[in-house]
Amino acid sequence: MHPFEYARATDADQAVAVVSADPHASFLAGGTTQLDLMKDGVLHPERLIDITRLPLGGITHTDSAIQVGALTTMEELAADPVVRERLPFVREALLFGASTQLRNMATIGGNLLQRARCRYFRDPTVGACNKRNPGSGCAAITGIQRMHAILGTSDHCIALHASDVAVPLAALDAIVHIQGPDGARPIPLTQFYLPPGDTPHIENVLRHGELITAVEIPLLGEGTRSHYLKVRDRVSYEFALTSAGVALAIEDGLIQEARVALGGVGTIPWRAWGAEDVLEGARAGADVFRTAAEAALDGARPLPGTAFKVELAKRTLVRTLETVAGALS
Amino acid sequence: MTTLEAGTIVGAGLDRVDAPLKVTGAAQYPNDFSFPGMAHAALVGSTIAAGRMRGIDVTDALAAPGVLTVITHLTAPKLERGPMTLLGGSPPAPLQDDRVLHYGQHIAIVVAESSEQARHAARLVRVEYEATEAVLDVDDPRAEIVENPWGLDTERGDVNAGFAQSDVVVEGTYTTPDNTNNPLGLMTTIASWHGDALTVHDSTQWPHNVRTSLATIFKVPESGIRVLAPFVGGGFGAGLRVWSHVILTVLAAREVKRPVKLVLTRPEMFTSVGHRPNSVQQIKIGSTRDGDLVAIEHHGISSVAMEDDDYEPVSVGSAVSYACPNVLTVDRQARLNIPCPGSMRAPAEGQGSFALESAIDEVAYAVGMDPLEIRLRNYAEENPVLGLPWSSKALRECYLEGAERFGWSRRTPEPGSMRDGRWLVGYGLAGVSYPFYQVPCQARASVRRDGSAYVRSAATDIGTGTYTVMTQLAAELLGLDVTQVRFDLGDSDMPYSPQAGGSGLTGALANAVHAACRRLVQEFLDVVRDDTESPLRAAALDDVAVTDGRIHRITDPEQGESYVDILARHGLEELSADGRSTPPRSEELGMAIAGAFGAKFVEVRIDPDLGLLRVARVVSAIDGGRILNEKTATSQIVGGTVGGISQAMFEETATDQGTGRIANATFGDYLMPVNADVPDMDTLFVGGPDRATAVGTKGVGEIGLVGLAAAIGNAVFHATGRRIRSLPITIDQLML
Amino acid sequence: MKHAETEARSAGQAPPDVPQVDVTLNVNGTLHRLRLDARVTLLDALRDHLGLTGAQKGCDQGACGACTVMVDGKRVVSCLALAAQYEGREITTVESLSVDGELHPMQAAFARHDAFQCGYCTPGQIMSAVCLIAEGRANSEEDIREFMSGNICRCGAYPNIRAAIREVTTEG
Repeated sequence: MHPFEYARATDADQAVAVVSADPHASFLAGGTTQLDLMKDGVLHPERLIDITRLPLGGITHTDSAIQVGALTTMEELAADPVVRERLPFVREALLFGASTQLRNMATIGGNLLQRARCRYFRDPTVGACNKRNPGSGCAAITGIQRMHAILGTSDHCIALHASDVAVPLAALDAIVHIQGPDGARPIPLTQFYLPPGDTPHIENVLRHGELITAVEIPLLGEGTRSHYLKVRDRVSYEFALTSAGVALAIEDGLIQEARVALGGVGTIPWRAWGAEDVLEGARAGADVFRTAAEAALDGARPLPGTAFKVELAKRTLVRTLETVAGALS
Repeated sequence: MTTLEAGTIVGAGLDRVDAPLKVTGAAQYPNDFSFPGMAHAALVGSTIAAGRMRGIDVTDALAAPGVLTVITHLTAPKLERGPMTLLGGSPPAPLQDDRVLHYGQHIAIVVAESSEQARHAARLVRVEYEATEAVLDVDDPRAEIVENPWGLDTERGDVNAGFAQSDVVVEGTYTTPDNTNNPLGLMTTIASWHGDALTVHDSTQWPHNVRTSLATIFKVPESGIRVLAPFVGGGFGAGLRVWSHVILTVLAAREVKRPVKLVLTRPEMFTSVGHRPNSVQQIKIGSTRDGDLVAIEHHGISSVAMEDDDYEPVSVGSAVSYACPNVLTVDRQARLNIPCPGSMRAPAEGQGSFALESAIDEVAYAVGMDPLEIRLRNYAEENPVLGLPWSSKALRECYLEGAERFGWSRRTPEPGSMRDGRWLVGYGLAGVSYPFYQVPCQARASVRRDGSAYVRSAATDIGTGTYTVMTQLAAELLGLDVTQVRFDLGDSDMPYSPQAGGSGLTGALANAVHAACRRLVQEFLDVVRDDTESPLRAAALDDVAVTDGRIHRITDPEQGESYVDILARHGLEELSADGRSTPPRSEELGMAIAGAFGAKFVEVRIDPDLGLLRVARVVSAIDGGRILNEKTATSQIVGGTVGGISQAMFEETATDQGTGRIANATFGDYLMPVNADVPDMDTLFVGGPDRATAVGTKGVGEIGLVGLAAAIGNAVFHATGRRIRSLPITIDQLML
Repeated sequence: MKHAETEARSAGQAPPDVPQVDVTLNVNGTLHRLRLDARVTLLDALRDHLGLTGAQKGCDQGACGACTVMVDGKRVVSCLALAAQYEGREITTVESLSVDGELHPMQAAFARHDAFQCGYCTPGQIMSAVCLIAEGRANSEEDIREFMSGNICRCGAYPNIRAAIREVTTEG
């Protein structure tokens, strides 16, 4: 690790001011991404502002949403009774992510900001990485591809966004609350992330020094059922090869509302708008589920090492839709 | 040879004697040691696979805070290459020239006041390379091929004539990938010089090899070197050789004249301490329509490093597995720009059994015979290469008792015919062996005035249970309670021990401990030979037994006296004796000395839509000869089985084309089973003590792994009708 | 609470030109005042500066669980934690589990069930197992498997680890 100064923030405004003013400063929260990347030599801030003592924890509830402080850990959020009752697929996604130890450390704000798992990004001895060194190329495209994205990729980057919980949050139209030097602003999660395009080093709309303070998660309707399915080689403790987060409201066999997002396949948490269009108003059944899955993977750009993911992602989504519809029937 | 008789201590499932240390965190692994004034080292690895270094700039690294020195090939002294060992040559000495032979080759060592400073400074070393095109694939036509590297190729009968006579011939290419040992303990070396004398804490499986090698490399007397490894955080073969990082740490300590500690990083563990090399195997088996094997031909090629060697005869097991008149086994190695492979749990058999036992399964389906039946039908009653009876072989019992325990008879033969709801169910089996291996070993046993015994040898316990089983064995042989016996190891100042490896240590050491303890009882008899006060006067070793710390005549147990009384009366503080074991030889004994045998039965579940594969049950029936401790031996089999599941379903070290970089050199990316992947298991031991040695063990460290991948692959075929010939078996191969 | 003034040892102490932090760690009920290179992780502080070598380093990347310790009653991987961040938090390591030579029931169960081989992952497994019970996740086989999956055992002692946990759950 590059040497750095450590300071503990006591005030959010001050923390934002300090980091905004210093291009070599970073926030430190749970540390599970930040420290890992510093050890790998990918990140080398000269000043770390520890925000973990700021009053940004806690979960508040309204009838239609919960407001989750950015420092709430994954385990705390999963344990919330309202999440358990009204957002079961959020809870599933949280508990399928990482390990208990990491979930006790990782915060919800940090989870949304986790960096790509791409081993070409995470190894500074690899020269070609547009995310690390803009303009240097992408070694992953010609490298070992299995864990990379097939949706939202570009010729410049195929790195996957590996968050599980961001998948149902994208499906739910969660809102990220951001505090910057000029004040606070809300951003829908579906507009928060930026696909790599030709600027893979810019991953989201946050400006340097802006801080996520809270995530607002709309609750599912009373009759809506949801499920998060994660497909991976191991039974547990592994990033997704493919995953799907689905919430459906069905009345008399007709799908009233569908929220669908995919993980393990996108450069950003992948909201499957096309699948939702197919599903909403349609009669729940195997054919429409398959059609929705085809729509969800529309535009996939697999490489030889990720070719299997196209069909696997479709089957993952179909299975998830079947499970949710089965629970409703 | 006096054979160990059945006792009450040996065999019992005693809790590990080192358990209290391990569960409290008090067991001291090499990286738990610290010394006053200790400095910390970090390595720089090459980022190309082939070529040379045009320049190496250490200016920034040297200027970084806390840095004491940076050693490169430009500043390193000439170092001798380590000696030939039981396991072949030593790895090349590091930093001897500007050439790069593989990715991750250690090209500099940085020493600083703290590990944080050393690691940071290591990133500041700048290297200018002149890369050449690396040879990275065994099928690259530029790769140098080493034919018959160990002289172990076999041929009997005429395979071509055999295939011509066969009703059915199956043929396939099986591939296994590179696997990385990845013991959980990051391998650590701490070196301290005192003049020409040297103390080294090292994560080794073989302290004496470290001592001998360092003496050669640094041209200092072996007698001044002490190597310590009381606890090692696993090895699986990674600690068998004196790798470059050990040498560099010792060199760095000499340079800075302080103790130096180096802890490898996890990524470095993928390039610095060996790995199971990949293999491509062509196998062809001919059979009559009744399932009598007529011919087996097995060709294996494995990768090896450019200027190093490694023992991986993957095909040779096929020569001894079945009674088959025509057999040809051929092994080759391809020299590549890769980090040097080395033994990894069940070397050679781990790969070869996947091909052979999968192909036997193919023959069974081709002739419409139960896979268990075809194995029994072609059972090798004697060693088919030597033409000698086995010193022990209970593989038939393994098959029959294992099948009974597993419920093999419930299997319906047709692939895809068994289901449990959405899940396809498959049964598979494999029958395997791991060859006998033993090399000379020594031990020393003492009984002290207080009646306690101290037994020691410079062996290691890498989790195998050596501390525990040798305590039990010595207690049995000396007629003491286990609480009165202390067995110690992991110190090169103790009597010579070979490596913990090849399932050979328990046998070698047990027979040395046996000899030492017998010799020690003889020493007591010698003391009282002319002692008119002793009821044991003039007794011969064969006339006495030892019970409760007391030597007595067998014919009249009243006639005897305790160790304590003998020592006291003769004014002795203790008596000691040395024992040694030498490996038995098949030719001398007139029997083929057998290793362990095993039959593995596996039930898998497959979700054919999502390609999910789950191992639901495993039954391992093992003939391991005498079992010294049922509990720790079972753990060896369970652990080996987990290694087999891992080989079958998870592990694959991925290499980037061009740079030869390991693309998944972290625990997040290199998959090994977690708790949720591993079912509860059933292990049963059959057979009895082997006839070839006094103690009659056969070693159970490897046999748990051998054949698991084939059994899983066979179960996958039974579930799906899809034959997977490439490991690991993953989701993308199973989406039907 | 004891107040031990443990000074950082000479080994590993950084010279002044690297940013330092003064940090007081509460480990197993004892306060330790340390001056550390800001880069020192909680794991390295425990091992290299406080001599508590029970928690082990298996990957240093948060992926193996060998470094698991408890912070304010919850299990964390101490290798991905900066020591400076944990000032004032209640840190509990494997060294605190046995009292006066009496093994904690989980330690005793691990010994009885041979729930380890090389023993390197064992302190982390035991800390996780103790927390697992406190989390209420030791009541089903499925939960034990899932929520012990953050601790890798390369020796493959998983079935025995589960047996040890089951025994403690049943008896406790």
